[in-house]
Amino acid sequence: MAVSFLKSYARVAQVPVFVAIGPFMRDAVEDLFRDQQLVRANSIRHASILLVAGSLRDSDGEDIRRLHDQMPHPRATIWWNADPDDGLADPLIVDGKTDPKPIMIATFQDLIDARRPSEADLLPDEPPNPWQGEGDYGQGGKGMMGGNPYGRPMAMTDDDLRDGLALDAYTAPFGPFLPMMPPGLQVSLTLQGDVIQSAKVIRSPFAQIDNAAPNVGELRQLARFLRVLGLEPLADRCMDIAHDACMGKPTDAAPLRKLLRWSGARFAVPLGLGKLVDTDVRSRFETWLDAIDSVAHLEKAPPRAPSKAATHRLVDLLKGLEWNEAVLVINSFDSKALIAISPVEDDDGGAHEGDSHTSHSANSEHAHSMHGDGASSG
Amino acid sequence: MSQVIAILILPLFLAVGIAAAALLDRAVPAMLGGRSQNGIMQMPLATAAAMAIAQRSETEHPDQINWMLGPVLYFTLAAVGLSVVPFSRSLVPVDLDVGIVLWGACESLTVVAVFLHGWSANSPLPLIGAYRYVAIGLPAMLLSMFVLIGTALPAQSLGVVDIVEAQRTIWNVVRQPAGLVLFLMLGLSISLRGPFDYADPFDLSGGTDAEVSGTARLTWWLARLAMLASVSAMTATVFLGGYLGPILPGFVWLAVKTGVVLVVLIFAGEMFARMPPARMMGLIWLALLPLSFLMLLAVGLELLLWG
Repeated sequence: MAVSFLKSYARVAQVPVFVAIGPFMRDAVEDLFRDQQLVRANSIRHASILLVAGSLRDSDGEDIRRLHDQMPHPRATIWWNADPDDGLADPLIVDGKTDPKPIMIATFQDLIDARRPSEADLLPDEPPNPWQGEGDYGQGGKGMMGGNPYGRPMAMTDDDLRDGLALDAYTAPFGPFLPMMPPGLQVSLTLQGDVIQSAKVIRSPFAQIDNAAPNVGELRQLARFLRVLGLEPLADRCMDIAHDACMGKPTDAAPLRKLLRWSGARFAVPLGLGKLVDTDVRSRFETWLDAIDSVAHLEKAPPRAPSKAATHRLVDLLKGLEWNEAVLVINSFDSKALIAISPVEDDDGGAHEGDSHTSHSANSEHAHSMHGDGASSG
Repeated sequence: MSQVIAILILPLFLAVGIAAAALLDRAVPAMLGGRSQNGIMQMPLATAAAMAIAQRSETEHPDQINWMLGPVLYFTLAAVGLSVVPFSRSLVPVDLDVGIVLWGACESLTVVAVFLHGWSANSPLPLIGAYRYVAIGLPAMLLSMFVLIGTALPAQSLGVVDIVEAQRTIWNVVRQPAGLVLFLMLGLSISLRGPFDYADPFDLSGGTDAEVSGTARLTWWLARLAMLASVSAMTATVFLGGYLGPILPGFVWLAVKTGVVLVVLIFAGEMFARMPPARMMGLIWLALLPLSFLMLLAVGLELLLWG
């Protein structure tokens, strides 16, 4: 009785979807979520549907399988313009020309009504790395410290870059499908508290569509940045304006500009953060704000000076930043600029351009070690 | 007898507050985002049902007991804090001489509940949310102490009924408008919202909530809404005269004022940008705390000079 009551309400709920976005699919995915019947889950734990959009790298397969298994039952995966994992018995495949929205809604309702079985795990329910404990407590080091249990370096006290407060530093991979980071980007971060001690790019972000319509790219970038600032409703408005501009529809951008002025968004971004030659996060943010004015006046935003970003590395910018600042910095670059400053580093410190369709073995131990862990939830 | 009735009203008030908060939490962002309000009435219940049906997540070696206790403690603190709020002069669930001290204790322990929720998952992003919240939550609580003492000074009492009665001539919002703004900031902080949501934000994939699903997530969601309703009722009580008002019964006035504060808090949570924690720490310690102290000084001087 109670279960059928719950089901009757649950089937009309917004469909919680976690998205793993591949190359050239970011805009299309973001447009899906303009529909209020769908809600984009911040964490795989909050989703019932995993949408894999676009062809991923071979090396992303393991992350997708881990994400899949972290999704709570009842669950289903939809492969939109993507090759399904071999382990799934009845994969839901949608070609690139078909709108996956009705399929996601119908699948969610089928899951609730138990008309479609929830997908089984793709990975065995066992630690991804062997237990390598040696010490008194089997943790692999001396006393209570050190070691490499389950292939994961244990947190160790280390000097701090900022104020000298010695906390346990730990290293973990983040990405490649975290919603607040560009799709495809996977970085290994050594954190002390929430301060980044060192960073290393494991996989570069995917290339995305270069919008031909004036200001659209800037507006989409602004919307993503606003979400990081906690301004979800304004980000939605911005995404709507970008969509209208893309379709060539006239739009009234003045209310958004006014709301942004009142939101304190500009003040929230510290001056000098993520400084690259002659720009910082705030100035890059202001450039996008200009795009709103340009849309309102139906003109293209004034051309900007060519970026010299390629001569810098993202990992150098992230060092010493607190987590939120780092996310702001990462989101202050468009796709092209970010790819240019995020070359994948070899273990010997050499850098090479990330290839969207090649496997990277760097740090695979970390990547494998996070089964069941939040860092891999994206 | 009246206390028994008040104790019976308390869960009802909290339940209605949670429902109203859940509804407004959909309606206000939709309005600000220029989205349709269609189906908004059934959405909170539908969301709750979907959460209840989902499987509870497991992480690797979580602290199971504390992971379960975190949301329960958070919800309990909201209910205990609300218990000192009078529905009328005689209808008070817990009529203490030091009511705002009990409220202050509930505020402070919120930090513990949120920390437990983030720490127990044994996962990096919830953990960052947990200690980031502690860093911001503690100075925010200090802020609240100064503001609450400022509301207690005119009543010359720490009892919440006395604080309401002292507002018969003039509401505390008129006496210290900046105090109301500061207390609303505290409200955002203890209900984990918008510019003060350093525990469960988007940049941490949901922070302390990132590894939670199913009924555990539902409990956390309800606890957050309960705290929002609770802090709204307390704000209405200490700044807007609580149950005071003409014609209508006291509890109706309290409900109306609580509703207004609820809308303001949800609007502020969606409307104002969240700054990086270090910048927020600077703002609280260097600007907001001195301001709260000046407000306290101003109220004290006013009472000394004009009694």
